Amino acid sequence: MKIVVLTKAAVPLSPSLVKIDPETGTLVREGVPLTSNVWDRDAVELALKLKDKYSGEVIALSMAPPSGIPALESLIGMGVDRAILVSDKAFAGADTWATAHVLAKTIEKYVPDYDLIVTGEETIDSATAHIGAQTANWLGVPYVYYVYDAEVRNKTLIVRRFLEDEGIDETYEVEMPAVISVLKGSQVPREVRLSRKLNAREYIQVVSNKELGLDPDCVGLRGSPTVVAGMAPATYPPRKKIVLQGEPTEVVKKLIQILREEGIL
Amino acid sequence: MPCSLWPQINKAEYSGVWVYLEREGNRLKDVGLELLGKARDLAQKLGGAEVGGVIVAGTEEMAREAIYHGADKVVIIDNPDLQIYTPVEYAEAIARVVQKYKPEIFLIGATKRGRELAPYIANALTTGITADCTALEIDPKTRDLLQIRPTFGGTYLATIRTPQRRPQMASVGPGVFPKPPRDANRTGQIILEKVEIQKRRTRLVSVEKRLEKDVADLPPVESADVVVAGGRGLGSAEGFKLLIDLAKLLGGTVGATLMAVRAGWAPPTRLIGQTGKTIRPKLYIAVGISGAVQHLVGVTGAKIIIAINPNPHVPMMENADYAVVGDYKQILPLLLEEIKKLKGQ
Ligand SMILES: Cc1cc2nc3c(=O)[nH]c(=O)nc-3n(C[C@H](O)[C@H](O)[C@H](O)COP(=O)(O)OP(=O)(O)OC[C@H]3O[C@@H](n4cnc5c(N)ncnc54)[C@H](O)[C@@H]3O)c2cc1C
Ligand SMILES: Nc1ncnc2c1ncn2[C@@H]1O[C@H](COP(=O)(O)O)[C@@H](O)[C@H]1O
Repeated sequence: MKIVVLTKAAVPLSPSLVKIDPETGTLVREGVPLTSNVWDRDAVELALKLKDKYSGEVIALSMAPPSGIPALESLIGMGVDRAILVSDKAFAGADTWATAHVLAKTIEKYVPDYDLIVTGEETIDSATAHIGAQTANWLGVPYVYYVYDAEVRNKTLIVRRFLEDEGIDETYEVEMPAVISVLKGSQVPREVRLSRKLNAREYIQVVSNKELGLDPDCVGLRGSPTVVAGMAPATYPPRKKIVLQGEPTEVVKKLIQILREEGIL
Repeated sequence: MPCSLWPQINKAEYSGVWVYLEREGNRLKDVGLELLGKARDLAQKLGGAEVGGVIVAGTEEMAREAIYHGADKVVIIDNPDLQIYTPVEYAEAIARVVQKYKPEIFLIGATKRGRELAPYIANALTTGITADCTALEIDPKTRDLLQIRPTFGGTYLATIRTPQRRPQMASVGPGVFPKPPRDANRTGQIILEKVEIQKRRTRLVSVEKRLEKDVADLPPVESADVVVAGGRGLGSAEGFKLLIDLAKLLGGTVGATLMAVRAGWAPPTRLIGQTGKTIRPKLYIAVGISGAVQHLVGVTGAKIIIAINPNPHVPMMENADYAVVGDYKQILPLLLEEIKKLKGQ
């Protein structure tokens, strides 16, 4: 089984690293130490489980600036066979249409014989959950989201998925090749083995638009149907800001009083 | 130059504000009706545009319900093979109908199924889409839809436009907009559209209701009046148990920060904030939570916030109604005891 895992090198969990380009309103990703999107580890884990069972190859694919390399290295440390980083200044500022475009064209050119594409449920820094479905549309293949388990039967994929808002499990039969997105938190991602991670760089192929040859008007900011028109810091409603401190027993007494006044108790 | 892969369109041909109306069994989900209310508002700002709805394999009764909630026209995709939901077949069928009726704006409820369909439909129509909008406006100058959503971990509110493509698409979560009043005197047009599926590529094999609740049978965070949430400051899964006890005593539920979820103390369904749930409880109790913006954006709708933290200067404490300075290991057991006494347990 040849499996491509789409993975984003995301801006890490620190508000101090979230910077906005004042001109384009997009997230500045250059020069920021990127880490692999936390929910993509679930995708990698499910892909590796399938490989353990059916053998084959797991290839990680990421569109990111060169600072995305360490994120791919850690996935190789988890057991991914090799990785492709598609990286070009022309790709900067892409919305999900333009991102899926580049990812799909890279797959068509470099892994045309894929059986399955696996994505995370969403990314921590965009959280759109768009890329999986859009890549499926670009490639003309079926897709299913929120998958927590998959197996192959007679060349078709059987996936089990969970819809949290309806509280139901569904099993689908999906023709391959296909795209699945993996339910966040549904897997226990395996450890990164340092010995593997150390020489991971050898297994990473970097591809630019020189090789892909995509119309520069159809990638990055220019190729994005959506445009960021404005950006305002989020504001919060005012709070009472009453500080309670001192002896725990006294504090708890006050808390009880508050819970009663507020009609909770 | 616009991208050579974008089919040329005449923007003037697109008009109306349309909504995808998701079914649940044989009724329409509320989120679709909520969006019809918003669609009416947008249509009015566009000078009286038409409001439309699309139902896959729905009934006339459902279509009438949509009309009572604000639709002028409802298209029922009439194909018995589409009675049962499958993602790619539904997305293709909906895209085909949208392509035919050419609305200026197309809105989709960001349920789990809606979030699965929406990006595919946008891509099939070669247009842009903004996920999980919290506000929608019309730019009076350009008539463009302003798609407003929290972004970059909720630190900012972004306003997004789709200047060159049509329809302009957005997904919106359940409960973001109010459900409009039902007016059984409203009339509208119901159209049956035959849409053939070219080739079936996904099949539903089985469906099962999940019985197990993720955390000790507690309700989901979006629906509880009291939410007790924990963060990294709890230090252990043991600490989380205290929160469950407190939540049960107060008739509420438990939530968590990303750090607590990553530590494995709570499942991702409990995550509150930018990448998790937005909640509006009567009372939010934050235990061992620093209050990063990404977390705060999820709780700004809470009526009362109590925070417990030894450090009074973290944002969670500074954004609380009651900031309890202290170690939760000392405060919570005492609090539990007092509440039990009061309740005579
Ligand atoms: C793009 C993006 C999206 C994100 N989305 C989310 C999201 O949806 N939800 C979310 O929660 N986070 C999100 N984050 C992460 C967020 O930035 C923070 O990292 C996270 O919320 C911090 O979690 P925490 O408060 O549990 O941990 P910390 O920041 O480590 O805070 C722990 C707190 O516990 C206190 N503490 C320590 N000991 C005790 C004790 N004994 N008793 C009481 N208190 C104690 C400490 O003083 C400290 O304030 C996101 C980040 C990014 C960049
Ligand atoms: N730049 C990218 N490169 C590769 N994969 C990506 C990229 N962005 C998103 N993805 C994949 O798409 C999923 C959903 O991302 P998003 O639509 O940003 O929420 C992620 O979990 C990844 O698997």
